[in-house]
Amino acid sequence: MISTKRSAEVGTPQPAKRLKPSDDDIELANEDDVIPPSPPDTSLVPKSATINFSALTRKLALNKRSTDDDTPVSGLSSFEVHRRQQDKLISHIFMDQDFSWLHLKLDHQSRPLWISPEDGHIILEAFSPIAEQAQDFLTAISEPVSRPAMIHEYKLTSYSLYAAVSVGLQTDDIIEVLNRLSKVRVPVPDSIIAFIRSCTLSYGKVKLVLKHNKYFVESNHPETLQLLLKDRVIREARIVTAQTDNSIKAATFTTSKAPTRGNLVIPGTEKKKDEAGDGTPGQSKGNPSDADLFTSVVGVDADEIEEDDDSVHAFEIDDKKIDEIKKRCNELEYPMLEEYDFRNDTLNANLDIDLKPATVIRPYQETSLSKMFGNGRARSGIIVLPCGAGKTLVGITAACTIKKSCLVLCTSSVSVMQWKQQFMQWSNVTDRQIAVFTADQKEKFSGESGIVVSTYSMVANTHNRSHSAQKMMDFLTSREWGFILLDEVHVVPAVMFRRVVTTIKAHSKLGLTATLVREDDKIADLNYMIGPKLYEANWMDLAAKGHIANVQCAEVWCPMTPEFYHEYLKEQSRKRMLLYCMNPNKFQSCQFLIKYHEDRGDKIIVFSDNVFALEAYARHLKKLFIHGGVGQLERMAILSKFQHDPNVNTIFLSKVGDTSIDLPEATCLIQISSHFGSRRQEAQRLGRILRAKRRNDEGFNAFFYSLVSKDTQEMFYSTKRQQFLIDQGYAFKVITHLDGMENLPDLVYRTRDEQIELLQSVLIANDNEAELGSDIRHVDGDLAGTVTSKDFGGPTKFPPTQRTTGSLSALSGGHHMSYIEQNKSANKGISRAGASTAAPRHKLFAKRDKDKASARKEARMAG
Amino acid sequence: MPSTQPYIYSENGDSTPTPHALLPFLQSQSQNTLTRLYQRPSSCLSIFRLLAPLERQIIMNLLWLESAIAASTMAAWVIREGKKLYEDALATLGRLNIIPQSSTKLALNGTFKSGLRQAMTGGGSSGSFGVPADKDDKRQGIDIEALDGYALERWETILHYMVSSGTGQSPTRPSQGVLFLLQRSGLMALSHSSLLQITSAGFQFLLHSPHDQLWDLLLQYLHLAEERQMDLVEVLGFIFMLSTMELGREYSTENLSGTQKAMLEDLRDYGLIWQRKPSSRRFSPTRLSTTLTSSAPPLPTARGTSSGPQEGFIILETNYRVYAYTDNPLQTAVLNLFVSLKYRFPNLVVGSITRDSVKKALMNGISADQIISYLTAHAHPQMRKNNPLLPVTVQDQIRLWELERNRLKSREGYLYTAFASQADYEFVLNYAKELDVVVWENSVKRCFFGTLEGHSNIKGFIERRTLAAGS
Repeated sequence: MISTKRSAEVGTPQPAKRLKPSDDDIELANEDDVIPPSPPDTSLVPKSATINFSALTRKLALNKRSTDDDTPVSGLSSFEVHRRQQDKLISHIFMDQDFSWLHLKLDHQSRPLWISPEDGHIILEAFSPIAEQAQDFLTAISEPVSRPAMIHEYKLTSYSLYAAVSVGLQTDDIIEVLNRLSKVRVPVPDSIIAFIRSCTLSYGKVKLVLKHNKYFVESNHPETLQLLLKDRVIREARIVTAQTDNSIKAATFTTSKAPTRGNLVIPGTEKKKDEAGDGTPGQSKGNPSDADLFTSVVGVDADEIEEDDDSVHAFEIDDKKIDEIKKRCNELEYPMLEEYDFRNDTLNANLDIDLKPATVIRPYQETSLSKMFGNGRARSGIIVLPCGAGKTLVGITAACTIKKSCLVLCTSSVSVMQWKQQFMQWSNVTDRQIAVFTADQKEKFSGESGIVVSTYSMVANTHNRSHSAQKMMDFLTSREWGFILLDEVHVVPAVMFRRVVTTIKAHSKLGLTATLVREDDKIADLNYMIGPKLYEANWMDLAAKGHIANVQCAEVWCPMTPEFYHEYLKEQSRKRMLLYCMNPNKFQSCQFLIKYHEDRGDKIIVFSDNVFALEAYARHLKKLFIHGGVGQLERMAILSKFQHDPNVNTIFLSKVGDTSIDLPEATCLIQISSHFGSRRQEAQRLGRILRAKRRNDEGFNAFFYSLVSKDTQEMFYSTKRQQFLIDQGYAFKVITHLDGMENLPDLVYRTRDEQIELLQSVLIANDNEAELGSDIRHVDGDLAGTVTSKDFGGPTKFPPTQRTTGSLSALSGGHHMSYIEQNKSANKGISRAGASTAAPRHKLFAKRDKDKASARKEARMAG
Repeated sequence: MPSTQPYIYSENGDSTPTPHALLPFLQSQSQNTLTRLYQRPSSCLSIFRLLAPLERQIIMNLLWLESAIAASTMAAWVIREGKKLYEDALATLGRLNIIPQSSTKLALNGTFKSGLRQAMTGGGSSGSFGVPADKDDKRQGIDIEALDGYALERWETILHYMVSSGTGQSPTRPSQGVLFLLQRSGLMALSHSSLLQITSAGFQFLLHSPHDQLWDLLLQYLHLAEERQMDLVEVLGFIFMLSTMELGREYSTENLSGTQKAMLEDLRDYGLIWQRKPSSRRFSPTRLSTTLTSSAPPLPTARGTSSGPQEGFIILETNYRVYAYTDNPLQTAVLNLFVSLKYRFPNLVVGSITRDSVKKALMNGISADQIISYLTAHAHPQMRKNNPLLPVTVQDQIRLWELERNRLKSREGYLYTAFASQADYEFVLNYAKELDVVVWENSVKRCFFGTLEGHSNIKGFIERRTLAAGS
């Protein structure tokens, strides 16, 4: 930082100083203290990696403006004077984000980028003819901020640059391509160049490679290795092999040819390879004229960037000291990238699996894999694909490429079974070679190598294990794994990750997720523990190409009834939530939408985080529901009913349905209560219907409704939640009035009395009912909070009858005259609820139970 | 007053469904004034150009007829669906006294007919199209580029002064005459600190197209001229004369009447004409004036590096981001009225439409429809591929933000409090209820709110009661 600042000051010519007296310098000096290092998400980044952009650019701008002022006014036409004066007047709007002093290139129209010198923001014209190539490049080096139809925004961060370096991009190439794509004439933001340089200086320069079962520290830059060897810890860990010749070169490092992709072929892509040659398929396959155009503007062939043809240098280190070395390298700010040279690994047995000949992977899946296997080795990292875009197949293809023992970790026992089944479906793996490890099943594969599918909790558990589980764990920890596949990485707590990563010895790691957003700061942890983000797909692109469903998103505004709003204003925050969930208008909208979409032939999922509301809705509307209190068997029965029974078109799910539930039939989603402002939950839930692409009607083929009670906190949360999807290019339509809702026959809570009755039942509800996701608890074996978890920790809810007793006693204090009236109506409400309980349930039971249940029901009705 | 209707933009000013802003003004003039106006061929031609296509068609049909034609003959050409249009057009022409209203015969007003004929065929020596000045050997005339620059500067100075008033900035002040006009037209008003400040009408004005803005101001000028006892025919005639002049040519002031010479100064301030110095005996019209009655853009659009206002430059995305391809400070300032701006690059301004930014605009009196039509009118060519042009969600949201404001209804009235006893309170309240004037009541606080109309009755009732109690 010091050096940057100094150069900026040196570069400032005298006039500027004269015009702006010394207070400017004071301002600069203070800035380091006042302004926290930007960007904010760099907690893990070494301090030297961040630069104070503003100080630099302000100097530049000041410099430029002062020269403007110096120019004799007389030489200008009155029009130019006028223009300049106006410019100054609006400049204040932008504060220090006014970059109009930059100069455009003469042919700026054919170049698609603006780069903000202040904060590394990149703005891309997505309609430019070379936008597609530019996008590929930008996703590699920066984080996508927003990607709607015409103009995209990206942001350079130290993480994204780290990821760029790790997929093989070189500092100079990044700068060169940015320069060429930019509309603004060089010197393009010096501050940005400095930022890129500082970020890429130490990142990705050192690799930890396991070759012939020896660990090597490898680098293209011998000086970096020299530097590392100056450190005592590293020096001591080095194994100096006995040299036969004493030449200087041999005494230093072993030098070899840099790895190239060579003849590595990702399975499932053979046919295309023949046409496309060895180049990166996504780029060479595109419209040739476009590609030429790109090359002519950019001047660097995209393929060249990815390959570095230097030779690499390496020294061997003691494999017992790997952890120490890794830690030390992080401290030295030379984090090691992990690469697995699986083709040269002779110690670990090969696993003879391949994709089935019929399996074809899609272009974007191929692109994502090409990032992983770019130099013929397996890089560790994360691939981000929207739900329904075929993450599983990417994982399977990766496993089939590495062809070593493989451990797959997912969130629940049901996903375990799904993964196994997918493996069998897409690849030629035999039943013998694949094993599952869950609380119920503890298998080992036979033979030297194979695949084990398990859950995070099973592997990370530190509590007492059963004997068989312990034996299984010993089996897992005792061997080396070629590849570890981590499903839904965004939901796993960091602690659990750390345990997994430290107990299992794996050469390469691949994380899969749909949304790399978290409300907490865990993304940084993932970066550090798994590796950089290798690929992130563009949702809108995939939807346009028909790989995922085209979703119409809508936010339905339901006005609060006066009675509910009155109570809402009086209540404390927790009860408030219940009030806006149970808003009769919301109830009606929900009923109307269900009716409307059922008539259209849609399969509908209704989500509610609030279990009380979930049950109330489901019972009243006589639909099936699943929440934590619903037993495993019943749950499976409901899910299969939903999938196969034409009469069951709607199910209500609590938070347990957010992830890892594969319901490809669902085409419509209604959300009645949700977890505050969680962008991730919104994206995950949308993911539930992205598989609905098969029904390709015109325009939209899936619907996402968010029911929001007007004038409540929900509105605020709702806006926050949508941000991620809006940035992906989704548009939320606001619906203030549902046409024809009033005319719906048997509309619920039509009269005011019914509404007040509902209000009473909400008011007497236990305070705990207002909590979100109250049905989820952590249990052994599965991650908390997935629908497919075996057990949610037992029924946490009271059976409905018990709740009545509670409320009666609460009422028994007696609130003057209305006591009897309330009592009566509450009773009536409960008896109705009781009757309808039987309705959804008895469908699920096997025939035997069905008779029993209906008999019971009749008895109750009669009574 | 500038029109408060939603402004409808069209590429071709002539096919605008709403009639030109000047026509209602002309229609309100006396027959005598109109006839005097029609004595000038340039006025006839200009008015003809301002009319709707159908009206022009009718005029062209009648123009070369020497005698009147039976109304039924003409009506026979009109298909049934077009009948309404046709009748409206005839009514407009009637009010303009171009076709005197008559139930049986249709014929052009004689003065108008000869005026328009002369405008089309040329000839005559009335000089109504202006008299070109003799070539000046000593000095080179001003070239078109400089004229454009001059017009743009003048015009933008006025608008920029408006837009940055009240922001604590000190932009160049337009001349006193312009300021007076802005104030008179209600576009700006004196604030309590006796500074000129833009009004909500002014904000709306800023979102109009330059052509509409120009006519808005000229209409105000015409009203002002009426009050100043200037001869309207002279004023209008001069404006029309300017509109038919040739850009880049110098005209002589010799033939101008006294009123018209006096106008020169005002028009100079607006940027409509250019003179080397106030006493000069020659003047050049700028593009602003020569396009007054044509569909060509009134301001130069693409002029090398220092570009004037762009036509289609705004991209609005579904994530509420606004990307405006402009380096024009005025356009940026106008965008700033309802967009929260963030970055500015040499040819791009980036911002986003937020609740707060739209709220600010609404507070300034700009309506949601105006924002939307501004965005529509200036949409980037890339946006034209979309159907609908602007993302529906954003449009809806802007409208919803506007609706949010209209949720409180205010009613004037009186609050009655401090009743001595509950009985007193109830007694008065019951009386008020009988009159059905109670808006709100709160028995715990012993107060209620009555409408304005009921006040005198309630007041009388309470006074009577206190009197009765006192006696």
